[in-house]
Amino acid sequence: MSENILVIGGGPAGLNAAVMLSELGVNVALVERDSFLGGNPKKFKYKFLFPDMQPADNVIGELIKKTESAGNIKVYYSSEVSDFKENGKKFDAVIKSASGSETKTFDSVIVATGFEHFDPARDAKYSYQLFDDVIDIKDLERMMGENNFVRPSNGKPPKKVAFILCVGSRDRHVGNQYCSRVCCTVSVKQAIEMREHFPDCEAYIFYMDIRTYGFFEDLYWKAMEEHDVQIVKGRIAEITSGPDNTVVCKGEDTLLRGPFEIPFDMVVLASGMEGGPQSPEISNKLGIELDEHGFLKPENVTLSPFKSNKPGVFLAGACTGPKAISDSITEGAAAAMNAYTYAVKNR
Amino acid sequence: MEYDENGVSIVPAELKKDIFEEARKDFRYEEYVRGCLNCGVCTGGCPPHRFFDFSPRIVLQKMKSKDPELIWTMMDEYVWACFQCFTCAMICPFLNSPGGVIAILREIAVRRGFESAKKVLKPYSRVLLKLTAYGNQLSPDMIQPDFFPDWGPHIGYASTDLAVKRKAIPMPTLQVTNLAWDVAPETMKELYDIFDEAGVFKIIESVDPSLYEIIQDIVDDVRSS
Repeated sequence: MSENILVIGGGPAGLNAAVMLSELGVNVALVERDSFLGGNPKKFKYKFLFPDMQPADNVIGELIKKTESAGNIKVYYSSEVSDFKENGKKFDAVIKSASGSETKTFDSVIVATGFEHFDPARDAKYSYQLFDDVIDIKDLERMMGENNFVRPSNGKPPKKVAFILCVGSRDRHVGNQYCSRVCCTVSVKQAIEMREHFPDCEAYIFYMDIRTYGFFEDLYWKAMEEHDVQIVKGRIAEITSGPDNTVVCKGEDTLLRGPFEIPFDMVVLASGMEGGPQSPEISNKLGIELDEHGFLKPENVTLSPFKSNKPGVFLAGACTGPKAISDSITEGAAAAMNAYTYAVKNR
Repeated sequence: MEYDENGVSIVPAELKKDIFEEARKDFRYEEYVRGCLNCGVCTGGCPPHRFFDFSPRIVLQKMKSKDPELIWTMMDEYVWACFQCFTCAMICPFLNSPGGVIAILREIAVRRGFESAKKVLKPYSRVLLKLTAYGNQLSPDMIQPDFFPDWGPHIGYASTDLAVKRKAIPMPTLQVTNLAWDVAPETMKELYDIFDEAGVFKIIESVDPSLYEIIQDIVDDVRSS
């Protein structure tokens, strides 16, 4: 008889976990809160992925296809785990969806509930939602994805765009002290993408530190050397409106020009990643620990980053902290292996 | 203080170290000085930075350097350029307070009677006198062109016929020009007790000894009444 494993969340991590388990012959129940699979990359229509600019569909689309075509993965759309109980070494879960509630017993569980983008409106100095031309990282990704890169205020193509890093990250005022890891690379990628498709449009990046870790550094150098992206050290103190329908970034260039006020046609805020409301919810429901940053807490961050404090419940992807899509996919596979081992041992 | 042949004061290294230690020991220090990655948000949002060579980022960095020489360079004019608006503290991602550091350094400068403190506080001697004598901070007769150049070209007109203008104010006033409101002697005595406890009289004594003498006479009069 096959094992039954519950996967909560149908983003990159959850999808890869489900696909891996299905290949091992496991019966997978994949619970997804949205009406579609693919998680945030799909929801916000990510178009090209760093570092190699491959179409997001190559990755996310591929995983969705594999999931949907697998005979032993049952996907529950627009659904949630409404009740969760331990049953010996196994788990009884109630899956609630539009078509009603279903109670099933699972051998193990993988939590892959992901992250939420930080809402930049929470930090008033950036004037997000006050000025139409101040958008954020996911808004730009969607604009690029929909081939609709224009100034929201007047529908015209921008001539000068600022990218502001660390929005909602590394800032005690908004309560997020951590680095969101991917926003630097995503912003550099977006600046390159913009310069490639709209060579008339100047790009500025304002940073406190550029953290394009590992091989992502290639993109950072490329942005400067091949795409003439202006990279300025200085966090933005305030965004105000300027003459001729511009938005003005005010800050200090701490290395070169000192205080500045530069008008832009458009500003892109690199809003970071948060555990979102789903993390405490799932922590409560499943009785697993939450960390001080609002993400789910691994049993041991180094030795077993994919294990929760509860035996039989595993973690994968951005639910344990900010992460690139490739890392989430890796963790999905690692969690699948662990969930499978646990299920087999306790059969 | 000693001076070299060019009239520049020679400051012993010990004094600079003392000043640094005094700032470090301030009970607010730990709260005001945390991590700093030179992001420049504080200076980017700093109003005086537009007008003077003053940067809250530099203030915090110098404090964090723990180098008494660097901190000394701020003790003369630099610390007085700050508006104390605390915009820096409002926006610093680390919750540093460069404005708070300035407050600590200013208090040291005042307590130690530094020339820069005396110079900056000089215009306030009239206010201090008014405050200690009458419990008022500002009264109409203090409006004089010499003291309020920032009030613009109409300050000349504004400072004439004060008694008549006072009568024209359509709300109850004391109808005098040397007071804004009346303060009871009991309240004045309480005010002096607070000044004593808070060390305000001591500060006045160190920055303006002649003003201190005048004030002491007034205080003695009120206290013995």
